[in-house]
Amino acid sequence: MATTEAPPGEPVLYEAHKKIYPREVSGYFTRLRVISLVTLLGIYYITPLLQWDGRQAILFDLPARKFYLFGLTLWPQDFIYLAALLILAGLALFFFTAMLGRVWCGYACPQTVWTEAYLWMERKIEGTHNQRKKLDKAPTSAAKIRIKALKHTVWIAFSLWTGFTFVAYFTPIDELAAELLSLSLGPWETFWILFYSFATYGNAGFMREQVCKYMCPYARFQSAMFDSDTLIVAYHPERGEQRGSRRRGVEPATVGLGDCIDCNVCVQVCPTGIDIRDGLQYECIACSACIDACDEIMDKMSYPRGLIRYTTENSAIGKGQKILRPRIMVYAAILLLLSGLLVTHVAQRVALDLDVIRDRNTLYRETPEGLIENVYTLKILNMDSKPHRYTLWAEGIDGLKLVSDQPEIEVEEGSVFEMVVRLQADEYNLEARSVEVNFHLQAQDSNHLNASREARFVGPGSS
Amino acid sequence: MPSLTPDGIPRSQQAISVLWPSFIVAIVASGVFFSAFDPRDLIPFNLDIDISPVAAYSIGFLLFWLLALLSSFGTLYFTISNCRFLNKQGD
Repeated sequence: MATTEAPPGEPVLYEAHKKIYPREVSGYFTRLRVISLVTLLGIYYITPLLQWDGRQAILFDLPARKFYLFGLTLWPQDFIYLAALLILAGLALFFFTAMLGRVWCGYACPQTVWTEAYLWMERKIEGTHNQRKKLDKAPTSAAKIRIKALKHTVWIAFSLWTGFTFVAYFTPIDELAAELLSLSLGPWETFWILFYSFATYGNAGFMREQVCKYMCPYARFQSAMFDSDTLIVAYHPERGEQRGSRRRGVEPATVGLGDCIDCNVCVQVCPTGIDIRDGLQYECIACSACIDACDEIMDKMSYPRGLIRYTTENSAIGKGQKILRPRIMVYAAILLLLSGLLVTHVAQRVALDLDVIRDRNTLYRETPEGLIENVYTLKILNMDSKPHRYTLWAEGIDGLKLVSDQPEIEVEEGSVFEMVVRLQADEYNLEARSVEVNFHLQAQDSNHLNASREARFVGPGSS
Repeated sequence: MPSLTPDGIPRSQQAISVLWPSFIVAIVASGVFFSAFDPRDLIPFNLDIDISPVAAYSIGFLLFWLLALLSSFGTLYFTISNCRFLNKQGD
């Protein structure tokens, strides 16, 4: 079996990898794509800078085991929300794939977003795709080294910024920046910044389309979600064939040709290096660069646009487009139902938890007044984003008294408050040796914030 | 009969096919594990280890990665050696 040989100086990553130099392209979909990519990059770099109530708006505070999401503070016990969110994201991917094909790959996937950003820098420094190709083929010279060094410096700087931003999702960005400037970054922060930077540099600078072709699981199974009405990027062979070159302004029919002038521009602009005219291929990330490129050629030839276009398998064979089909409706229904459930659940989430532990050392004791007394340790967890004062009471036995050394129960945001309370009851009111009592906790400034917990009250017995 | 040997696959691809899936598994595993357990509760009382939470999570993640890596590597190793064996038989 022939092993693949890489050109000298090019690391072998996968089979006969030929470096792809995507040609520059402009047009409607390219603009749409640039807007999407810039927006997503902006969200990534700006999010850690946002502040909310005097702290970072979105922060996975690992040391404190809390996750801040604007006004919401999530705790490890809220892990279920994260799981639900992941399931929702999966379903959304199903829904959008069935409807719009690989729109995720072309417009939103981080691999695409950063690859395009790195390609943009490459273009600014090394020039057009032809200049880049020439530069790579050229023998080593001072000028070549200078250009390459500049490109890699810019790439590495951008990678480091990306890595720094990534770690800023876990460590407050102002602390991180101060540590960086005073060169006192912790070893693990340093490790993760470098790790993430290296991954970005490798993925966006070198691996590029190979990640989509060989490493991406979605690329492998997305076709299972496709049907004949899914939006795809496709070439129109009936109109294009017989392809062939001709002079500008020639009516195709007069020379026995189709509309495709075989200029190969659609192949040159493809970031994954495929020929869309060969039909739907799993390498196609539906970036629509070939649509814009072909439309430009069609304009030049004065032929109608859309030889390569967004279409569906059904409309390509003249069956018409059907958007609302059972598959879509089922996905949409499940998606709506689940997101509705999640939103209601989060909205009704009570940011308060109460834990009651009965003192195990003594069953009960008698007070000087002749009352039976039980001791409990209470743990109050304020999961809200601001401090609260709470009112505590207990019920379950006639004339039950709650005694505490704490006159006020005030708990800081996101902290646990521990207190010892004593319950006192008259023996005559105890119906059994062990009676159920209920502790109730109520925030003084919010009716919504309340928690209850049952416990046992033990007495000498009624016999 | 086409060769069953995946030896034609470059080393780097083999490396990535081990590193990459185990990386994803390590992310999921550490997410689930650390949402259930606080690393501070995992250090035995009699051991006086002063370790920052970030270090504990990082080491936890890397250990999960190592574990998944061994499994992925096992799969790759057996696939390759089986293919070699079957090819030899087919000769």
